[in-house]
Amino acid sequence: MEIALQYLINGLMLGVMYGLVAVGFTLFFGVLDVIKFSHGDVLTVGVFTGFATYLALKAAQVSSPLVQLIVLSIVAMAAMAALGALIARYLVLPLSGAPALNTLLITLMLGTVLREGVRLGFPDGSNPKPFPALLPTTAYTFGHFTLRLDSLMLLAAGLAMIVAVHLLINKTKLGLAIRAVAQDGETARTMGINFTAVVLITFAIGSGVAAFAGVMNGLYYNEINFSMGLLLGVFGFSAAVVGGLGNIYGAILGGFLFAGLQTIGAVALPFASAYKDVFALAVIIAIMAWRPTGLIAEKSSERV
Amino acid sequence: MIRNKRPSAIALSLAVALVSLPAAAKDKAKVAFIGPLTGGVAANGIGARNSAELAVKLRNADPKAKYDYELLVLDDECKPNVAVQVATKAGADRSVIAAAAHYCSAAAIAAVETYNRLGLPMVVWGAVLPDITYRAKYPEVHRVNGTMINQNEVAAKLMTGLGFKKWVVIHDTTDYGKGHNEYFSKFVKANGGQILGTFGVTADQQDFTAELTQAKALNPEVIYFGGLTPIGIRVRSQMDKIGLNAVLQGTSGIKSDAYIQALGPLAEGSLSFIEGAPIEKLPGGKFFQEQYDKAGYKEPPEAYGAFAFVAMQLILDTIEQVGPDRKKVTDALGKVANYDSIIGAVTFDDHGQNTVPLISKYVVQDGKWVIWEDSEYASGKRKLNK
Amino acid sequence: MATSPNVRSPLPALVWAAAATLYGVLFLGAESQRALGTLLAIAAAAVVLGARFGLVDRIRASIGGNERTFDIAAVAGVLAVAFWFHEEHFIILMMTTALLLMVVALGLTIQFGYAGVVNFAGAAFLGIGCYTAGVVTKYTSLPSFLSLPLGGLMAAIIGSILILPVLRTRGHYAALVTIAFGILFKVFLEVNDTLGGPQGIQVKPIVLFGWNFNSPIRIGDFTASFYFSYLLLALILLVLSFALVRRLERSWIGLSLDAIRLDEIASACYGLNLARWKVLAFTLGNFLAGTAGAAYGHVLGFIAPNNFTFGDSLILVSIILLGGLGNLWGVAVAAAFVVILPEKFQVIQEYRLVLYAVLVILILLFRPQGLLPRQLRDYVPGAKPQSTHSPAEERV
Repeated sequence: MEIALQYLINGLMLGVMYGLVAVGFTLFFGVLDVIKFSHGDVLTVGVFTGFATYLALKAAQVSSPLVQLIVLSIVAMAAMAALGALIARYLVLPLSGAPALNTLLITLMLGTVLREGVRLGFPDGSNPKPFPALLPTTAYTFGHFTLRLDSLMLLAAGLAMIVAVHLLINKTKLGLAIRAVAQDGETARTMGINFTAVVLITFAIGSGVAAFAGVMNGLYYNEINFSMGLLLGVFGFSAAVVGGLGNIYGAILGGFLFAGLQTIGAVALPFASAYKDVFALAVIIAIMAWRPTGLIAEKSSERV
Repeated sequence: MIRNKRPSAIALSLAVALVSLPAAAKDKAKVAFIGPLTGGVAANGIGARNSAELAVKLRNADPKAKYDYELLVLDDECKPNVAVQVATKAGADRSVIAAAAHYCSAAAIAAVETYNRLGLPMVVWGAVLPDITYRAKYPEVHRVNGTMINQNEVAAKLMTGLGFKKWVVIHDTTDYGKGHNEYFSKFVKANGGQILGTFGVTADQQDFTAELTQAKALNPEVIYFGGLTPIGIRVRSQMDKIGLNAVLQGTSGIKSDAYIQALGPLAEGSLSFIEGAPIEKLPGGKFFQEQYDKAGYKEPPEAYGAFAFVAMQLILDTIEQVGPDRKKVTDALGKVANYDSIIGAVTFDDHGQNTVPLISKYVVQDGKWVIWEDSEYASGKRKLNK
Repeated sequence: MATSPNVRSPLPALVWAAAATLYGVLFLGAESQRALGTLLAIAAAAVVLGARFGLVDRIRASIGGNERTFDIAAVAGVLAVAFWFHEEHFIILMMTTALLLMVVALGLTIQFGYAGVVNFAGAAFLGIGCYTAGVVTKYTSLPSFLSLPLGGLMAAIIGSILILPVLRTRGHYAALVTIAFGILFKVFLEVNDTLGGPQGIQVKPIVLFGWNFNSPIRIGDFTASFYFSYLLLALILLVLSFALVRRLERSWIGLSLDAIRLDEIASACYGLNLARWKVLAFTLGNFLAGTAGAAYGHVLGFIAPNNFTFGDSLILVSIILLGGLGNLWGVAVAAAFVVILPEKFQVIQEYRLVLYAVLVILILLFRPQGLLPRQLRDYVPGAKPQSTHSPAEERV
């Protein structure tokens, strides 16, 4: 029983992280019909930026963990929002006329540049770096089940972020504009919405959320390394696809679904968690074979 | 008279020229150093590289040296396939006479065949897997450091002697981790200990919740960890996250400063075992430390720097003796007996393996690796959690 | 420069082959970084000047009109460079690797360049071939030479797992499927112990009619590196694949594949069976990759999952994008470039992934057809003196 609870907490954490990354993918696709494969690596750059901020704060004698946490999160999210907007402005928007494959290739290569950039640019980048434990680590024990306070806080923060994004998209004017552009870009333009601005803002939001997910990941595992974004990106994208690209709830659902799959794989398979990634990836391929555009089918029309 | 003086002046200058000629025309010889300069265990590789470089520098500064040595440094990234590539590169380069190679056992065991095929004599300085020298009898392969057999024997005796009875083993699935698992299990069972469960993990695994949760359910007293520092850090911190209060007993793989730096207070009470004495207690340790500091290296020599120094010294001395010829060096290395070095006398057995009699036990105390006998754990002032 | 449509002088093509051979010898043999830098500068200058003075077009027309002569000249050139460096282990190894990667790139070209089927798991299929070679030599008593066709077969069979998802998906979804497969392959190998796990496995050398490929060649006074046998094998593989792919391109099959790539709906309207041609392209491409992989496994002698990461698949994709999607000679040049440059320029060894990624981004932004764009279909080889970049060809 307690073991099940342990797995549950872990699964929820993973689900929140995948969900946050998936939200980014789904936003980009909804708005521009483009898959930005570098999203996972933007997450990596984000968390390394946060880490660098932390080091700078430490050097500047700022020692309160709360202040450090808030500042590094804000810096990471803001920096990645800017990076996301830049990528949209210079690499994605200019290619909106070209075949989708070119955009895919460019973002894939960009992801590699970002990943290698972190590895080469950050001092001693190829080694995993210990991420500071900035949240209180008191542990509560119920019988055999131990829950650390920071895990709980991270979970709460992740869920709060998801709710925030939901509110942004559905209850604000900006969200209305984003949804309009996602539905039909041309009509939105004729309605007076600044297409470019909305696209840039969407990319900024998505990338900022990814940075947040990265910082969460760093706080949870107390470690960051330059290739952490790759697998997160693949799983995040799969989660978005499974939930139906363009659908935010689908993305979040997909995230939890994937985390659930991995956890079940870790529990049920006799060789423990070694095979859980293999299992999850195999399921992705199977789902794509069965439902090529996700569980909630994409409503698209093609110009013949 | 001037006419008489000139010929003698010429004769004198000729004589001087003749005398200084041998000193100026030193032949060149190239040696290689191979180790993990990037990746999770780079600290060990870089420390060893500095040590080997120091050996070459000291030799080049020695006026009695017959040859001018050049050091080729290659990075095996602690990956088996990269190790094979760089071994091929070093072996295929005919000007490289010999190599001091490898910290990672996984890398070394993969490259052993390559050294034999290309005929490059080499001396291992850090890898502890016994198979490296014992799987096949390759005349090119030698090793100055000990094997994991001794390490694990001593570890088993110490821990069972302290009263621990129940272990869970977590090991990485490379030959290094598997080797540790094999030997430790054997020795701990022979000393009356019990292994409740064994888990293999991949070398770059991030999340150990599944293994550790299952381990927690088995209620062990000690977690034996057969792997390298990066995973050791993750295992220890995740143990704390799910509330698994057991002692972390590691091997020479976690004996590094990076382990303590990353874990902070969580590292307290972790154990590690390594062959050879700490540098201060080595016969030539003071000399080595002085020279190392004088050379001005930023990074510490780490656990195996002294061994790398010895390996390179041995190679250089052999080349001085028999000349820069691979075959001759291979033959000469096969006959090494009672070679005096900073770690004591080195003798290679028929498989090229040196016996290092002393195993040092270390425990983390107050943020530093402390010799077990000197620690407060040994004297009873502190207790390892049970 | 007016010449009759069907007769082109082979002279420019032969001069080009000789110049390339000489350059190859100089480049591979260069020791100092400065010499290498100078050579690269000369090459860049030659390309710019050549384009300026129309030499490139003349060479291209000459090659087009004298294909067989040029092919023989190219093979002779490679052999000449190989014999020049016959004792240098590392150079022969580099050349062999480049030749084998060219074969893999040819396979990917069929998939991506002709049929428009994305495959980001190229390294995984290469790996399937390598591991087949390992298993064949280690666990079975089959003659080791069979590992080559078996490697190709295994790659094709395992690739067929992906056929259904690949057929039913398009664009980014298809990319996801192949990326997932590539990662799955590597992770599976790492956790599975029977194939050696993360430690990897040894691959024994090929023994053909009693001749162990791993032994050095000694004929009288002539000794060659023990990689030489593999170099000859790789060259034979490359020649066969090149001929196959070129024949394929010029046949009805190639025409169908091009049609499918350019416009699926229209092709379907004209009665082309989309599924059949895509499956053919995908399987054939994987077969080539697997065969080259088996040879590669024997050459390396030792393989580990780390040889076949996602980054390696991306490098393969970079090769076909840089060289010019669908242009076989371009792909060959790009493969040689990608393999040999980082080995010679130690400085960029660490930066090679970034370098290739940046180059591909630049090319995709400014010259999406690649460095040597694919020519418009020549119904009479050599007849059209100039290439026209029609809008149809722009859509890569």
